[in-house]
Amino acid sequence: MVTDSGNASARRTARRIAGRLNAPLPALVESEFDDTPRVVNRQLVVLVREEWRVVDRWWTEEPVDRRYFEVVLESGQNICVYRDREEGCWFTQNA
Amino acid sequence: MIACLLIPGFELRAALRSRPGLSLVPAALAPDLSEEPLLGPVTAAADVVGVKPGMRLGEALATCPSLVLVDRDPASVEQAWEEVLRRLEDTGFAVDPVEYGVVVFETHGVERLYGGVRPALERALAAVGSSWDPRIGAAGRRFTALAAASVARPGQILLVAQKEEESFLEPLPLSLLPLTGERYAELEGLGLRSIGELAELPAGAVAERLGADGRKAWRLARGGRSAKVRGRKPVAELAEVLVFPEAVGNELTLRRALGSLLERLLARPERAGRPFRKLAMSARLVDGGSWRRAVTLRDATAEVARLRVALGPKLQELPAPILELRLEAVEVAEHTGQQLALVEPAGEEVSGRLREGLRQVRASTGTGSVCSVVEVAPWSRIPETRALVVPRDE
Repeated sequence: MVTDSGNASARRTARRIAGRLNAPLPALVESEFDDTPRVVNRQLVVLVREEWRVVDRWWTEEPVDRRYFEVVLESGQNICVYRDREEGCWFTQNA
Repeated sequence: MIACLLIPGFELRAALRSRPGLSLVPAALAPDLSEEPLLGPVTAAADVVGVKPGMRLGEALATCPSLVLVDRDPASVEQAWEEVLRRLEDTGFAVDPVEYGVVVFETHGVERLYGGVRPALERALAAVGSSWDPRIGAAGRRFTALAAASVARPGQILLVAQKEEESFLEPLPLSLLPLTGERYAELEGLGLRSIGELAELPAGAVAERLGADGRKAWRLARGGRSAKVRGRKPVAELAEVLVFPEAVGNELTLRRALGSLLERLLARPERAGRPFRKLAMSARLVDGGSWRRAVTLRDATAEVARLRVALGPKLQELPAPILELRLEAVEVAEHTGQQLALVEPAGEEVSGRLREGLRQVRASTGTGSVCSVVEVAPWSRIPETRALVVPRDE
């Protein structure tokens, strides 16, 4: 006799599933021709402090191929971003 | 298998138990005063005339001027839900209540007892009773079970085999996923209608476009993570009720009634000397509605004076005179007393306070809310694999 969107229940339940610690977050990055970040989350990059690559798990179905950059933004914020070369997009993470 | 029992519109059903005649006319659960004026669940008669759950109040009344708004009845809802959970527990299921009307449990432990998954779930449906129109979805993963329950008919058991989970989720609507309204609009603008269409997209593209929520939704569209269900610890009923011969609104009388209830509750032998950690007060209002407030104590205590100080101010929040006042011990501490040391060992006081603080957080927010970080591979070059967040319920 009573109707409710079971969908709403499903949505609320699914929200309870916890995430991983230090999981990468998608970032909005504009890059130079050589793939170095120029703008991160709408803030200009003033300095690239460090750069390194992580290639791992290439023997599995979920290989990791990332190019990390530790950058300083115009606001003074120090942030780590990486380009996931498998998925072709940018993320921020505390590396 | 993980099973999900769903009772749509549970809060409205519980509120209508005392007024069954309203279930046959267009009626809806009134919006919560502290939230946006959006309708709660609606009756089938209201649904037929175009009133939908989540509709704005003004729009709903314009659509159906004869719509009856049913006041929220939190005490009845709480009581009815506890009855449902206890009936499931009596049947042998370790239940993990998600919210009113949604409960998840494992069938593994009782399959042999009842002769298989389906007979066990039939027992669960029978235990809840057909008057609630329950339906059950079961699958290898929690989200799939919930999705199955959401599309099942009243009284139906929908089993989804592990290898069929992806194909089952494919045609289901995107509205099952935990996304905000803006995100739905964005996805619809992109031409996506079903969970399967979202699951086919590359993970990176979804994450870039929709952010962390989108990534989570994408993962769920592919079935979600497989995690075990942690059943709640069955609670012992520890409550006292005071029924007034006529409606009472006087604060002094209410405070005296509370004092009397506290003394009766403290004298209960089931307490076995243990102090209270969380208490709930509920009242039946003179106009037929109900009221409920839960209080988590900073320190578990059995001192009447401290309990009065914690609970007394809540009585001022009563919206109307009451006919009945109920005091319930929601959670009781495990220790029977606090033995003070003459000389505290170094650091012991701080860690004791921390433990007590964590217990308080757990009592007020539920199991799984306190987690600890466990380092699993600190040497890993992939930052997110270095440590895990593990629920800490003990």
